[in-house]
Amino acid sequence: MLAVEIDTVSKAFQSVTAVDRLSLSVAEGAVFGFIGPNGSGKSTTMRMIANIIQPDTGTIRVFGRERSGTRSSEIGYLPEERGVYRKMRVRSLLEFHGKLRGGHNVTTEVNAWLGRLGLAQCAEQKVETLSKGMSQKVQFIATVVPEPKLLILDEPFSGLDPVSADSIRGAILEMRSRGCTVILSTHDMGVAESLCDSIFMIFRGKKVLDGTLKAIQRSYGSDTIRVEVEGGCPMLNGLPGIEQTKDLGQVQELRMAENCDPQRVLETLITRTRIVSFSVVKPSLHDIFVRIAGPQPEEAAVASHAE
Amino acid sequence: MHPMPNRVLLIAKRDYLQIIHSKAYLVGLILLPLLIGGGFLIVGQGSKGAAKEQRVAIIDHTGVVYSAVVQAFQESARRAMADTSFGPRVLPRFVFEEVKPEAEATSQLLALSDRVRQGELFLVLEIPSQALRPTDDPKQEPVRYYSNSTGMDQAVFLLPDAVNAGLRSVRLAQLGVDERRIPDALRDVTLVSMNLVTKDPATGTIAQGEKRNIVQAGAVPFFLVYLLIMVVLFGSAPQLGAVAEDKMQRVFEMLLGSASSFELMLGKVLAALGASLTSSTLYIIAGLAALAGMAMFGLAPLNVLPWFFVYLIADVAMLSAVGVALGSACGSPQDAQHLAFVLFIPTIIPLFLMTAVMQQPNGVLAATMSFIPPFTPVLMLMRQALPNGVPWWQPWVGLAGVIIWAIAVVWAAARIFRVGILSQGKVPKFSELAQWVARAG
Repeated sequence: MLAVEIDTVSKAFQSVTAVDRLSLSVAEGAVFGFIGPNGSGKSTTMRMIANIIQPDTGTIRVFGRERSGTRSSEIGYLPEERGVYRKMRVRSLLEFHGKLRGGHNVTTEVNAWLGRLGLAQCAEQKVETLSKGMSQKVQFIATVVPEPKLLILDEPFSGLDPVSADSIRGAILEMRSRGCTVILSTHDMGVAESLCDSIFMIFRGKKVLDGTLKAIQRSYGSDTIRVEVEGGCPMLNGLPGIEQTKDLGQVQELRMAENCDPQRVLETLITRTRIVSFSVVKPSLHDIFVRIAGPQPEEAAVASHAE
Repeated sequence: MHPMPNRVLLIAKRDYLQIIHSKAYLVGLILLPLLIGGGFLIVGQGSKGAAKEQRVAIIDHTGVVYSAVVQAFQESARRAMADTSFGPRVLPRFVFEEVKPEAEATSQLLALSDRVRQGELFLVLEIPSQALRPTDDPKQEPVRYYSNSTGMDQAVFLLPDAVNAGLRSVRLAQLGVDERRIPDALRDVTLVSMNLVTKDPATGTIAQGEKRNIVQAGAVPFFLVYLLIMVVLFGSAPQLGAVAEDKMQRVFEMLLGSASSFELMLGKVLAALGASLTSSTLYIIAGLAALAGMAMFGLAPLNVLPWFFVYLIADVAMLSAVGVALGSACGSPQDAQHLAFVLFIPTIIPLFLMTAVMQQPNGVLAATMSFIPPFTPVLMLMRQALPNGVPWWQPWVGLAGVIIWAIAVVWAAARIFRVGILSQGKVPKFSELAQWVARAG
């Protein structure tokens, strides 16, 4: 069954089209990652799924039901621009949010989550006294009490230290294991690769990627050589069939042109320097993202002229 | 999921508790009666402070009226002290100084004026010689007084009667009439203000109007209306800043996942209503207790108290909805301060009309203005609280207008709030707010 079905949805703000005839399906029980550059339409799409704003055209179904303006306890929504009443005490605040979302036995759930995310000691503190990381955990709990069937998280890891990020990641996976569908947006491609079952990329309001990581990578083929050589990047100039060289510091990535033979590249390199490692790999999600959203050759040319 | 009313009540309860636990509310609760009563107290204390000694210099060009004028002045002061219609009065001790006219009249007046400037004298009274033979000739020299007074001093109020009484006394004596032999001919009569005579529609009994109490006629309606205005402002205006602050703290989008913008706004309006009703109920109970304590409970306008609360609810609903809407359009509490004047307009304009309404509560101006919905709560309540009230249908027609207006205002405010809480950037112009109201979907 599908948790979310988006059918040719568009949304414009004055003259700017934020989302352009977008269609998308999110399977129930999956962790679905939204990626895309800033201003590409991720948050607008999430807001429309959460019923915060309405699409200009098209339909959105959540668990098979078309919704318009109504709120549902089935959905938990954590916006990117988030804040809570800072003067309230943590427990009161979470109980307020839980009851507002339709929870009945929220105290038990709140206590469980406070313990789960290491905030039990702060339950009676005012939110304004908490650190940023703790506040973000409180905001996360406010989104998941009572436990939703669909969790929409807009940049849930932004600003979190690795320990707090791991806590939230663990909580998300735990919820998925209980059948909750999770839609999250992130700029961290590592998070998207490791956490998400499916990845969707939106660029300038349009869908440009949609599928599992493997399927997306498969569509790009094994066109990348990851190499570590003595002498570093200067040793890689003018290799046959190489379109682009990217220096990652200790390692370099080479993108092969169509019909490029990696065997010939290896042979050439052996004549030039000593090779530490050489592997033919699929492009990373980060690389795919940059290929789509990075400046196009003509744009880069315009930019360089402008400089 | 909770049905909508539950969510609205949850939001209202949270906001209400936040408001009544805030320092601003508690300080306002104490400050409001001080503002209402304190002003009069300060004036009273101020007049007591000024009630020392006031020296009045009299240049008597007639040469014969000085003593009579002084005597009449002191008699007027004694009568003023005895009149407690407006409450106990405190007058300064008047000291008189007879100044013989000099040949250089202008120089003499300059010297006396300098003494006034130095605070040595309060007033210089110059009685011309013709004052004993007044005519209708407008060119005849009048009695003049020179003072730095604002015109609100007791001495200035007493002066015309005292001077005329003194002059009249001397004139009668010059005509050979002994004033003491005709005291009744010169005695002032007492004027008493009465309420209109009424007829009981059930029994047909005609009831004599009771003596109109000056406090009931003016002060009680004034206090009631003043209380309404202050409670409405204290209840509504903080919503503007509070919503702007919440928007700055990014609170709303979290809440929008659980409640619609209309539910959020309605909850905030209900919270403002709750806070206003709490404070006004406390004030009304305290006021009634005070009247009972002073054995003046009969002055309590019990018949208009239900209307007071009805108008309060309508006014707070309107203004707090506007406050919430404008607050949502602001980017910061500072922006909100700049828009606060919008909330004051519907309460300040009726304040300017209050004198006219009190003078002619059923005049065309008062009646017309009290049917304009934003002004109805203040002006209609004022007219109703005045002793003879208004035709029975007028408050109901006024109320119908207020309810329609309040619904329209809350509807428009909800549409502004819906867009405002997710908007960013500069504060929109009023024309843009109008576009937000008109925007569909």
